[in-house]
Amino acid sequence: MTDPTIDEALRALLPRLRRFALWLARDPNAADDLVQSTLERALSRWSSRREAQSLRAWLFAILYRIYLDSKRRASLHARFLGSLAEDEPTWPSAERVAVAHSTLAAFASLPVEQRSLLLWVTVEGMSYQEVADILQVPIGTVMSRLSRARQALHRLGEGVIPESPSLRLLK
Amino acid sequence: MTQTPPSEHDIHAYVDGHLDGPDRAEVERYLDRHPERALEVQGWRQDAQQLRALLAGDLVSSPGLDPVLVRARRRQRRLSRLAIAAGLMFCLAAGGIGGWSARGMGRGAVAPMADAMQAYRLLAVEHGLGMDITTGNENDLRAWLAGRVGPTAQLPDLADAGFRPMGGRLFATDQGAAAMILYDDGAGHTVSFYVRPPGAARHLLQRGEREQDGLLADYWSRDGHNYAVVGLADAAGRAAVQRVTGRSI
Repeated sequence: MTDPTIDEALRALLPRLRRFALWLARDPNAADDLVQSTLERALSRWSSRREAQSLRAWLFAILYRIYLDSKRRASLHARFLGSLAEDEPTWPSAERVAVAHSTLAAFASLPVEQRSLLLWVTVEGMSYQEVADILQVPIGTVMSRLSRARQALHRLGEGVIPESPSLRLLK
Repeated sequence: MTQTPPSEHDIHAYVDGHLDGPDRAEVERYLDRHPERALEVQGWRQDAQQLRALLAGDLVSSPGLDPVLVRARRRQRRLSRLAIAAGLMFCLAAGGIGGWSARGMGRGAVAPMADAMQAYRLLAVEHGLGMDITTGNENDLRAWLAGRVGPTAQLPDLADAGFRPMGGRLFATDQGAAAMILYDDGAGHTVSFYVRPPGAARHLLQRGEREQDGLLADYWSRDGHNYAVVGLADAAGRAAVQRVTGRSI
């Protein structure tokens, strides 16, 4: 594959990558940084990609891992500073408006993995096998996690609030 | 009729619209008989539909993230990283050389002709430097020495002691240019003859001998120059140095 063809393939997936990044980081600037890091890593590791693997799943996996790594580093840093600040970032005010919809609000307050899982499966329409590959778990595990994610989303959407500190950001 | 409940996989596939034909019919049949489960699955389907519709608005292009730009930024960063690496190498090298020289200077103050021993180590032991002049002709070497260090600098004739010159190298010292001539006896023994000006303090040396780090130095001063003969501090080297100094100047 030549550079322009690779760029074209990446460009086509950019909006999807950015949407995923936005729902992970929940901050437009952080989302842009995430997508940029993802593209950089993808370009540098392009030769190690398996041809059979879906490009979209591969990119989502990279982005997801970069996000988890940065989150882990941030929480280590926070612990180092002795502050147990909120784990979840707060929404920028403009986006808080968008959260008015109950399903969206529920989705926003899900843990990162459940949010990712639902986005991949229901919004992106990715196969369960692709998701299993990203999470590096057996497909049966994906099924049970998906059940829990759907239950959580529905429960939250109906206003049944579990003990989740992240709901504070809906005020 | 009892019916085994559909697998978790089939339920999700039904929710996500991946199930067709008899599998789909079977899930629907099961849900008909289990209204509570049907209610839950129906809720999941609605949530999924809503999510799809709501998140469709988040699909926007971001021109700042175009792969072409990312490539360019990558290239630029790689270049500046190279520059930083080169700068770092330069600092390390400068520090190393500086440290090495400083070591020589510090010791030079207390240990006579330490520079002569360092020169020998660099040239004859570690082969870290090349020669400035490579010739066995003593007249050429004498002329070279006179031109670089001074017309009064003497070159010993060591042919009787079995040593022939191989070449010479100049060194910079605080006192001015110093020169080292390397001799070889054809049997694997090398000794060096080192000469430098005594410097502004006219620090001339008593004849003496000392050993350090496996090297042996014999040193003296004459006619306004400091001299040293340096060799390895083993039996063969000791004999070689004595043969040289017994003959020289």
